[in-house]
Amino acid sequence: MKIAVMSCIHGNYEALNSVLSDIDDQKADKIFCLGDLVGYGPYPNQVVDMIRSLEIPTCQGCWDEDIVEGLNSCECSYPSVLAEKRGRLAHEWTNQEILPETRSFLATLPMVVQEDNLCFVHGSPHSQHEYLLPDIHAFTALERVLSTGAEVMFCGHTHVPYVRTLSEGQFKVRISQSGSDTDKAGQFEAPLKRLINAGSVGEPRHGRTNATYVIYDADTQDVAMREVPYDYQKTCAAIIEKGLPSIFAWRLAQGLEYAERAEDPTHVCER
Amino acid sequence: MQQSIKYPMSSAPVTLVAGLSGSGKTTWIYEQLSESASAVYVGLGSELLIDERYLSVSFPGLRIIPEPLFEEAILHEQIAKGLKIYIEIGFHIDLDGLRLPFNADLCHRVAMIPPGNETIASWTDEVVVGAPIDTGLEVTQIWRSPLTGQILDPASLETFWYELTQGAYGAVHRAKGIFDVVDGRAFYFSFVRGLPKTQYVELKVPRWVEGRPERLSGIEVAGRGFDQKSIASTLSDCGLEDVAIAYYQAQIKQSLGEPVEVSV
Repeated sequence: MKIAVMSCIHGNYEALNSVLSDIDDQKADKIFCLGDLVGYGPYPNQVVDMIRSLEIPTCQGCWDEDIVEGLNSCECSYPSVLAEKRGRLAHEWTNQEILPETRSFLATLPMVVQEDNLCFVHGSPHSQHEYLLPDIHAFTALERVLSTGAEVMFCGHTHVPYVRTLSEGQFKVRISQSGSDTDKAGQFEAPLKRLINAGSVGEPRHGRTNATYVIYDADTQDVAMREVPYDYQKTCAAIIEKGLPSIFAWRLAQGLEYAERAEDPTHVCER
Repeated sequence: MQQSIKYPMSSAPVTLVAGLSGSGKTTWIYEQLSESASAVYVGLGSELLIDERYLSVSFPGLRIIPEPLFEEAILHEQIAKGLKIYIEIGFHIDLDGLRLPFNADLCHRVAMIPPGNETIASWTDEVVVGAPIDTGLEVTQIWRSPLTGQILDPASLETFWYELTQGAYGAVHRAKGIFDVVDGRAFYFSFVRGLPKTQYVELKVPRWVEGRPERLSGIEVAGRGFDQKSIASTLSDCGLEDVAIAYYQAQIKQSLGEPVEVSV
C-alpha cells in the first residue's frame, strides 16, 4: 500500500490543493495529515473544510491545539521576541477568523494516529510542541518511536523533511528508588525503527517556495520526498488582502517560514 | 585593503574623503588611523554619529568634532597641535556646492571610487579604488532612527537585519547601525549592496548591565521604496521590556561574578 503523509499546512489553501493534485498523480492509496492545519496562513477554514471533506486521518498540531485551548504555550516556544510577537499576531488573527465548526473539528483531532505498524504525530508522541530535528540524539529519537509501539513514526512540526533510520540497539536501564538501597537494572533490545519527517505543505523551510510531503510504500518501505510547486503569489496576495502582517507574504515568497525557525530541538513546552 | 591609483598622499593637514554610499570612506579612514590615531575626525551630514562612535571606540586617541562645532578656529587649533584631520563627506552632500570654513589649500581631496566608476574623479586629488559595491540602485531615501536606551534581543535583531538587507521593507543600498544587545555588548553592523556579507564588529566598550544603556546606538538605511512604518515597528518589536532587561542583566552579572541585588 502506498500512503501520502503531509503536515503543517498553516492555512495555505493553494499549497494544499497542489499537493493533493500531486498525491492523485502519485496514485497514493491513503492520505494522512500530521496537523497544523491553521495558523499564519490566510485560509484556515477552507483548509479544514478540505481535510474534513476528504476524511483524511489527521492528528492535532500545536497551532490546532492553541486555537482550541487558547495560546498558553510557554514563551520558550519561540526562538526570539520578534517571533513571539508575530506568532501572537497570527494567533489572534486566526482566532478571530476561525468558524465555530472549524474550532470544534480541531478539538476532535487526536494527538497520535496509529495504523498497523505506522504511527503519525505532529511534534512527538509526548507533545505537539516538541521538535524532533534531523540531528536529534539517537537515544531520544528511538525512545520517541518506541513509546508508540510502531515500526515507523511520521512527524512534522520542524518543517524540514528527512528520513532517519535508527539501527538496532541495546538499552540498559537502571532505576534508583528513594528509600531503597538497591537499584533495579534491566536491558532490552530495540529493533530497527524509522523516523520520517514530512516537511511542510504551507510553510516550507528549505529555501524554496515549493510545498513538501512524503510518499511511503508500506510494502517496499521506500520513501519518496515530494516537492511541489504552487502559486505562492496567490497566497501572498491573500495574506496582505486579509490583513495579516505583510512580512509573512515576503517570507513565504522567499521560501522562509512565516515567523522564524525554532532553535531548540529538545524543547517540550511545560504548561 | 583599498588600492590608491592616482596621486600620492599629500602632506596637507586636512584630508577630505568623499564617495558613494558604502564605497569605503570610513573603512579607508579607519586604515589611516590604524597607522596613526592622533587625529581628528569630522563627519559631514552624519546626523546619527554612527561612524563617529565606531571610530572613537576603535581609536580612543581620536578626537571627534561634531559637525555643528566644526569651525575654522577649532580646525587651526588642532592643526597647530600637529593632528591630522579627516573630514568624511556624506554621500548625499553635493560636492560642487560644498563650502568649508577654511582655505582649500589646506586640503587633500580623496575620492573613494568603486571599480569601474568615474563619477567624482574630477573633484579629487587622489582616487582610491574602494569596495566593489553594486551601484545599480539609485538612492532616493535615507531612513534614520536613534536607538539609544534600546536593548535588542539578538535573535530578533538577526531576523530583522536579514529581512531589511534582503529587501523586505524596500530596496536597501546601504545599512549601518550600532546596537546594544541583551548581554550588555554593543555591535556595529555594516551592509552594502553588492558586497558578500554584513560586517559585524563587537565594539570595545564595557558591558552595560545596569538598566537601559546611556550610550549612542542607532540605525541608518539608504535606498528606495522604504516601508518606513514597518521598519520602525519591526525594530521596536526586537526590543526588550524593562522586566526582561532586569531579568537578563541579573543573570549576566551573576555569570560575570558581579554581586546581584535582590529586593526582599
